[in-house]
Amino acid sequence: MKLYEKTASELSEMLRRKKCSALEIYEDVSNRIKSVEDKVGAYITLSDETARKKAIEVDEALAKGEELHPLAGIPIGIKDNISTKGIRTSCASKMLENYIPPFNATVVEKINNADMVVTGKLNMDEFAMGSSTETSYMKKTRNPHDLDRVPGGSSGGSAAAVAAGEAILTLGSDTGGSIRQPAALCGVVGFKPTYGSVSRYGLIAFASSLDQIGPIGKSVKDIAMLQDIISGYDKMDATSKNMEYPKLTDNLTVNAKGLKIGILKEYFGEGVDDSVKESVYKVVKLFEENGAEIKEISIPSANFAMSTYYIISSAEASSNLARFDGVKYGYRAKEYDSLIDMYENTRSEGFGDEVKRRIMLGTFVLSSGFYDAYYKKAKIMQKRISSEFDNVFKDIDIIISPTVVSTAFKIGENIDNPVKMYYNDAFTVTANIGGLPAISLPCAKDEKNLPIGLQLIGKKFSEQTLLNAAYTYENLCGGFNVHSQIL
Amino acid sequence: MSIDIKKIAKLSMLKIEDEKIEKFEKDMEAIIDMVDSLPSIDGELNLDPDNVMALRKDFAVQNKYTRNELLQNAPEVQAGCLVVPKTVE
Repeated sequence: MKLYEKTASELSEMLRRKKCSALEIYEDVSNRIKSVEDKVGAYITLSDETARKKAIEVDEALAKGEELHPLAGIPIGIKDNISTKGIRTSCASKMLENYIPPFNATVVEKINNADMVVTGKLNMDEFAMGSSTETSYMKKTRNPHDLDRVPGGSSGGSAAAVAAGEAILTLGSDTGGSIRQPAALCGVVGFKPTYGSVSRYGLIAFASSLDQIGPIGKSVKDIAMLQDIISGYDKMDATSKNMEYPKLTDNLTVNAKGLKIGILKEYFGEGVDDSVKESVYKVVKLFEENGAEIKEISIPSANFAMSTYYIISSAEASSNLARFDGVKYGYRAKEYDSLIDMYENTRSEGFGDEVKRRIMLGTFVLSSGFYDAYYKKAKIMQKRISSEFDNVFKDIDIIISPTVVSTAFKIGENIDNPVKMYYNDAFTVTANIGGLPAISLPCAKDEKNLPIGLQLIGKKFSEQTLLNAAYTYENLCGGFNVHSQIL
Repeated sequence: MSIDIKKIAKLSMLKIEDEKIEKFEKDMEAIIDMVDSLPSIDGELNLDPDNVMALRKDFAVQNKYTRNELLQNAPEVQAGCLVVPKTVE
């Protein structure tokens, strides 16, 4: 087995036993990038020089017997909407094509302090708006399990890089499913933490009340290890929750006995592929055989989550993206004859069609005469959905559902039909609406050999319970085989 | 519902090319139809009591970045200042 095929926890163990060096790990991943990146297209920017330097530093520190973080020396890729000082952060947009942040996001500071090796910046839908990574201005990313298909989105580069062996771990961001949906489509593990548990400082904002950074990887333990690094209170993020964050990795346990699992019946209805439903039901059965208690539950307003999500997220996006005006940073139109003309030309040339659509939708739902009919209604619905979740979590520990209605679709298949594309997020948006933690795990392959994902949702700040359930499944099913077999 | 794309684009500080207006209108109408499914329910908008945002202390942050660092991404700079078109007639 090549080094790039191993999990972060395996590599961490090998490093400490001196079975390999951090530089060897990085070089193996780097060679893998060289051999498959042309086909996959996961990266926008590679940071080879700084990565190599960091790997050498880690080796030197280990040789001196210094105590380093368990993930020191592990290669990690970062989604291109997370600010990296001195490394271009484009948001996959023409607007920020040449933008180099003068500061690090808090999560990047934490990763650097843990001595992880940053491989580069990963492709995404422009400003994280999309479910296929096709709205990227920079390049196409292909699904490593079938190169004619999309990797999902918006963190498509982050999920594809892990499945292709181009990174051991990656960071994504999830506003309506942007970590979990691509993780499901690429057959890897993707975790959206509770809103407020990971600092958003330095994450270029899409919808601030829903955005959350989270890890993508090959195993639940790897996810827990990375989450332990990035979580925690940060005074730079006003919505960061000031509380104790016990280490998840130290308390991972395998135990299905007595685990109360709710089957969210609204998410097993019409429109879900039979192969997806059957695969998730098989997992439910596996849990049941091992002592879990299964109960059918209902979130009656779940079917309104999509509308609620698109109103709130677009409203916030229209406000957040107002900052891109061509004055202080980013793209500026070449031709204009007044200040307003400069704003309009800059934004019209700098943003792609999907971003314009979301800005206009947001502007519309906030505009005079429509605010009460859309935005206010959506915020009240958000509260109702949250309280319905609170109610069901009185009787159960976690909820199980498919992550996405189907497996990966063909590149170009949905790009001209926004509403159809939006339905990719149907099962994931609820966790963002409620601020809940949720994880997507690979659970099967369909008849075309494409990965199927299942989703586990927990109550707020129940990361340990949720990851323990995920870890239990991983052990019961004999582990995940996330790597592409065709590259 | 019919949507006046030109008006919304203006409010959004965007210009939509003539040949794209029809497609934007059609897509936006389909999206509005989708989000129109929300029923009217009673309720009030209050801040989340579990997540009260603390206000930042009001003090100036000094010397965190140099002027050059902050201007390195600016589209046009002259003598250490951002250049913009004339804003007052």
